[in-house]
Amino acid sequence: MDTFLQACLNGLMIGGFYSLMGMGQNIIFGVMKIINFCHGEMLMVGMYLTYVFHAWLGIDPYLAVPLVALTMFLFGALFQHTLITPSLGTHSFTNLLFLTVGMGVLLTNVAQVIFSSDYRTITTGYSSTILSFGPVTVALPKVVSFGVLIVISIALFFFLKYTPVGKKIRAVSQNPIGAQVVGIDSKKIYMITYGLGAALAGVSGALLTLFYVINPTAGSNFGFRALIVVVVGGLGSIPGAFFAGIFLGLLETLVSLFIGPSLRTLVVFATFIVILVIRQNILLRRA
Amino acid sequence: MSIKKLLVVMACIAALCGTAFGAEPPIRIGAMYALTGANAAIGTNIMRGVDFAVKMINEAGGVNGRMIEVVRGDTEGDAAKARSVAEKLVTQDHVDALLGCHQSTLTNIAAQVGEANEIPMITAISTVDNLSENGYEYFFRMCPMNSVYVRGMFDYLRDQARATGHEVKTIAIFADNSNIGQEIIRCAKIFAPDYGMEIVATVEYQGGQPDLSSEVLTLKKANADAVIAESYINDATLLMKTLQEQNYKPAILVAKANGYTDPTFLQNNQGISNGVASVVEWNPDLTKGQDINAAFKKEYGIDMNGHSAESFTATWILKTAFEAAGTTKGSAVKEALEKLDIQGKFPNGPEIILPYNRIKFEDHTFAGKQHYQNNVYASIAISQVQDGVYKTVWPLEYAGAKIQYPAQYK
Repeated sequence: MDTFLQACLNGLMIGGFYSLMGMGQNIIFGVMKIINFCHGEMLMVGMYLTYVFHAWLGIDPYLAVPLVALTMFLFGALFQHTLITPSLGTHSFTNLLFLTVGMGVLLTNVAQVIFSSDYRTITTGYSSTILSFGPVTVALPKVVSFGVLIVISIALFFFLKYTPVGKKIRAVSQNPIGAQVVGIDSKKIYMITYGLGAALAGVSGALLTLFYVINPTAGSNFGFRALIVVVVGGLGSIPGAFFAGIFLGLLETLVSLFIGPSLRTLVVFATFIVILVIRQNILLRRA
Repeated sequence: MSIKKLLVVMACIAALCGTAFGAEPPIRIGAMYALTGANAAIGTNIMRGVDFAVKMINEAGGVNGRMIEVVRGDTEGDAAKARSVAEKLVTQDHVDALLGCHQSTLTNIAAQVGEANEIPMITAISTVDNLSENGYEYFFRMCPMNSVYVRGMFDYLRDQARATGHEVKTIAIFADNSNIGQEIIRCAKIFAPDYGMEIVATVEYQGGQPDLSSEVLTLKKANADAVIAESYINDATLLMKTLQEQNYKPAILVAKANGYTDPTFLQNNQGISNGVASVVEWNPDLTKGQDINAAFKKEYGIDMNGHSAESFTATWILKTAFEAAGTTKGSAVKEALEKLDIQGKFPNGPEIILPYNRIKFEDHTFAGKQHYQNNVYASIAISQVQDGVYKTVWPLEYAGAKIQYPAQYK
């Protein structure tokens, strides 16, 4: 029972990251209907930014979170405005596919050139502090990170629901032409949206640094899971992405514990396919 | 003037005269390692061992008066490049012997080229068992193969009881699902019964995952006397962090080098890795090779490690074989390598600095498979992280430090 509780807690902690990644991916998809294939690599950039802030400027990883978010927001907005927005006009799916995939490859290689393929970690005074709750234990940075991402999720939800910019984002996502008709500058909204998505990926990376290993290919695993989260949680749904991420984290740790670590990914993907099929059937029946 | 210095001077004079009167050309050794790309750091380090040995040999008069010249072949760590690099070395650079590679897949390809062109080749570093199953006549392996590494780990688990008084009855294996991880699991299953140990958990995890918590919980539940681990560097680091987090401290954790001996492992796991033991091919505190390492450190500014100590030794083997053959003809050198039997020290050369005392290539069988021309006397040492650095603790006779039990992970 203790082991089960511990595995659930572990699943919850890692699931939080899948949620955050999924939300970033989801907001981009919801508005622009494009899949951001370099989402994982943006997480990796977030990790290296945090590393740079910490190792070169001596800034604590948690204090670096807002800086990473801002940098990534600007990077994302620039990338959107200069490369993606012009491609959106072509209505070519392959164009956008290659653009985001290519950006991912570029980011990985740039990281390799600057930081080499060495694996790095960030250690702080509190990074190996372990908290015990009865029979279960958890690392302090994981608890703090989880708290931060809960706050971000709620803030994001309210931002989209109640703020003027959030409302505009939702308007563009529901009907881009209609939104333009009523005077919303959709290009600006695209920039904000993609910047927001990039910032969420960067923040995930920043929060991960205290208990994960930083390297140029660290993002791929998370990027891929973000896609699963988006599909399972429902396209465009922020709460959906949140719960799907947590579900995925729990599924992974429990499968690994009770079925076997070598079957971890297999079971996760099998479940993913089953969910897809069931949803498809439900949607077809509704139609 | 000492005899040694006199010899050097005489050799230099001989060499100078030789040049003036049209001496024999140098003996050329082709060295195939990754000198650029992701594995460049590893390849560059291996080359230091080769260069250092060649410098030592040439300064002492070369091979019967002929100098040795190293021709570098940059594989970039890429299997697709290995063949063309090997062919260029053999057909254009006309090397007399090959040394290489680091990754076993590439070594296999280079060995085919050597075999086809009758160029003797020694691998100092590639450990995958099946490399020596091909029955090639011109291919020799100096280093221990994977199964020997695993056997060494079991010997350690058995012998450490003498030092610590804690016998190991149950073991858990933590290995990733790559080719090498699966080989470790296979070998451990073969050896465990012979050593009277029971494997109580096999955690074959997927490498590069974001989280290893459940894998560690499985190990914790099994609560074995010792854990055998094989991981790449990212997983090795994540394992250390996860052991802390899940509050599991196996009394013995012994790893098969790889990620655990990566230069960044100790640096990235300061304060949480003390007590972790790992196979090493060589370590600066080994009681052998101290003088050589001191000179090496003076030259390159860093200590030798397993790889450079092995490539250093393999270069000396080639030198000895050329000398014995009296020619650079491939078939004659091959025969010299077959007959080679070095005990303790190389003729007119240094002691064997690796943790074994004899080098001889022999055919043998393991687990029903025939192996050819392996150095059957090769073995490994085991080091333990103590005060943040690896200290050799086994074989007990070459050990510079005592085994710390249980591992502290501090």
